[in-house]
Amino acid sequence: MSGSDLTNRAVAVAFAAKPFPWLGDLSKKKILAWVELELPGFFESAKRKYGEHQVIAKPLSPILHILSGNTPHAALQTLIRGILVGAKNILKLPEDDLPEVSEFIQRLPDELKPSVGKVLEPDWFTAAEAVVVFGSDETVQYFQQRIQPWQRFLSHGHKISFGLIAGSFDQDVVQGAARDACVFDQLGCLSPQFYFVDGDAKAFAEKLAEQLSTLISPPRSVSQEIAASLRAYREEWKFRAATEAGVIVLESPKSLDWLVIYDPSPTLEHNPLHCTVLVKPMPKGLEQSLEPIRRHISTIGVHPADARLVALAIKLGAQRVCAIGQMQNPPLTWHHDGWPSLASLIRYMDVEGG
Amino acid sequence: MPLLENEILQFLRNPAEFEALALKIFEFQRKRNPIYAHYCKSLGVEVDSWKNIPAVPQQAFKRSELRSFPREATTIEFRTSGTTGEGYGRHFLPSLELYEAAVQFGWDFFGLPRHPFVLLMQSPDDAPFSSLSRMGGFLAAQQRDRFFISKDGVLGIDRLQRFIDSVKGPITLFGTALAFLNLPSTKLPLPPASILMETGGFKGSGRETAKEVLYEQLSESFGIPISAIWNEYGMTELSSQFYSSGIGNSHRGPPWLRFVVINAETNEEAETGQAGLLKIVDLANLWSVLAIQTQDLAVARPDGGFILVGRDPKALPRGCSRAMDELLRTSQELRVRSYE
Repeated sequence: MSGSDLTNRAVAVAFAAKPFPWLGDLSKKKILAWVELELPGFFESAKRKYGEHQVIAKPLSPILHILSGNTPHAALQTLIRGILVGAKNILKLPEDDLPEVSEFIQRLPDELKPSVGKVLEPDWFTAAEAVVVFGSDETVQYFQQRIQPWQRFLSHGHKISFGLIAGSFDQDVVQGAARDACVFDQLGCLSPQFYFVDGDAKAFAEKLAEQLSTLISPPRSVSQEIAASLRAYREEWKFRAATEAGVIVLESPKSLDWLVIYDPSPTLEHNPLHCTVLVKPMPKGLEQSLEPIRRHISTIGVHPADARLVALAIKLGAQRVCAIGQMQNPPLTWHHDGWPSLASLIRYMDVEGG
Repeated sequence: MPLLENEILQFLRNPAEFEALALKIFEFQRKRNPIYAHYCKSLGVEVDSWKNIPAVPQQAFKRSELRSFPREATTIEFRTSGTTGEGYGRHFLPSLELYEAAVQFGWDFFGLPRHPFVLLMQSPDDAPFSSLSRMGGFLAAQQRDRFFISKDGVLGIDRLQRFIDSVKGPITLFGTALAFLNLPSTKLPLPPASILMETGGFKGSGRETAKEVLYEQLSESFGIPISAIWNEYGMTELSSQFYSSGIGNSHRGPPWLRFVVINAETNEEAETGQAGLLKIVDLANLWSVLAIQTQDLAVARPDGGFILVGRDPKALPRGCSRAMDELLRTSQELRVRSYE
């Protein structure tokens, strides 16, 4: 990787990312700092001293990115990583359009534009030195079985995020919790699906509902299938609220815009997303409650973000811990699903002597 | 026998005014079923028409025992298939009289032939919690040898072939779509004028196109025209059934069975031609609740019936909750019918 090439790529990415503030601060300076953090010194010279020998970092190339349709966020993140390490990139798009991805690509210089298609060409797969897959565990497994021993496989299967709140909470926390839950219509892996509250959980549910009702979001259209699922879920919970002690349903009137359920039971419940939030009192056996999803936890948002709650979140198996309100804003430098996001796309060559 | 049960039986024989009887049954159930009464109260709806009788979500049968009669009088329990961790839905009855009458009168209302029945299902003795088996039992006058699926779920294909060969005239072949699809033999021509009744739908890929493919396959396998293939749409939680024949024709119910299509967004009656969730009002469902909100999508037709829309798997909810579904074993039930 030469320094000037990297700088050019950083400039190009910074330009292309401008219309998408939700990608975080992707200024040239930040990008270069990120690369330096993960791959220190590698972009300054082809060879770098490494212990008793020298090492060259080369991108795995081409990288095939198999994208899922739920959010454009992850799609652009992985493409940006591939561009920054200097790989050729191939995007297998989901069936549903991700217009943000097309717009981003339009803004790239031709030499950095990825190959793009909705149908996976067989030679894409065989040519790829790295395959990055986003999707359900089923999808991930499908591609994993087709990976050659010499290919690097990076998978982003399903993840579940949620929040922990202890003690009192102010309006900022409620606002942050509402925002975290509704970005990308709650379809992202970082979208909290439920909050455990050690304190007045019922009051939190009410305040959250109030907040959601004032959130101005662009009118969304969901398929009739999704609308049917959301309606069935809502009506089932209304029945439960009428017949089970303590359950409260707070809903957007005559629309499916949002739904808050206060459920005193510690048992985890299915969530159809699209701004559906369950609020539960934090149980004594929190670890036990979370056991069914332990290996799938992504981000745990905490309030307050103090040592006790951070330690608790880590113990529960969080891959990322942050303050409530920041769940959708991971830093550029985060380890997406636990890996160094740039270094994972690099092959190191060791040179002894010469 | 309670007067109301008699009145309903009378209605099944000689249909009269639907609304008056529906409201009467609603009042009966609200008084005798405290769970339903709580639910109605929480909704705060003023019930002045059969259309706004509060419908219990189908899923509620999995969590609550919805009885409009004393628990100790229960003699029958039907269960949904309940393959998920949420368990199965349960429908309790103190007697089978209304259920049988609804099955028999419904069958005759549509002029469905009573040729010798061949049932691709388990007998009620082998599947005591299956409402479908019970229905088959009534139609086949309890002849056990008409059931061709054994207690352990094995289809007696040789016996079936022998039976079909031995019958001189047409037969009525009735079973789940799944049983038909799992027939090991690809060709099993039925005698002329036979009909085939399938139920159970297409498990998640229920678009009309999938139905067309299924019916073409059935037509070829059994050597009957597509118009002789019927679908029975019912559910464990109900007592009566809707029927449709061939492809593109509406599902219709007998006079004691009505439906409303509910706009999922607004939870109000959908406009004509608009797809929505099917709410069903079944006057024969005296012993639980008469109004049930299903999770099935349908469009009302001008002929008074509806077309099941089915669900496009590609349009299903996605995102990270899918993992939650799998993990919690509560994946959404997409089947058109969930019989035991």
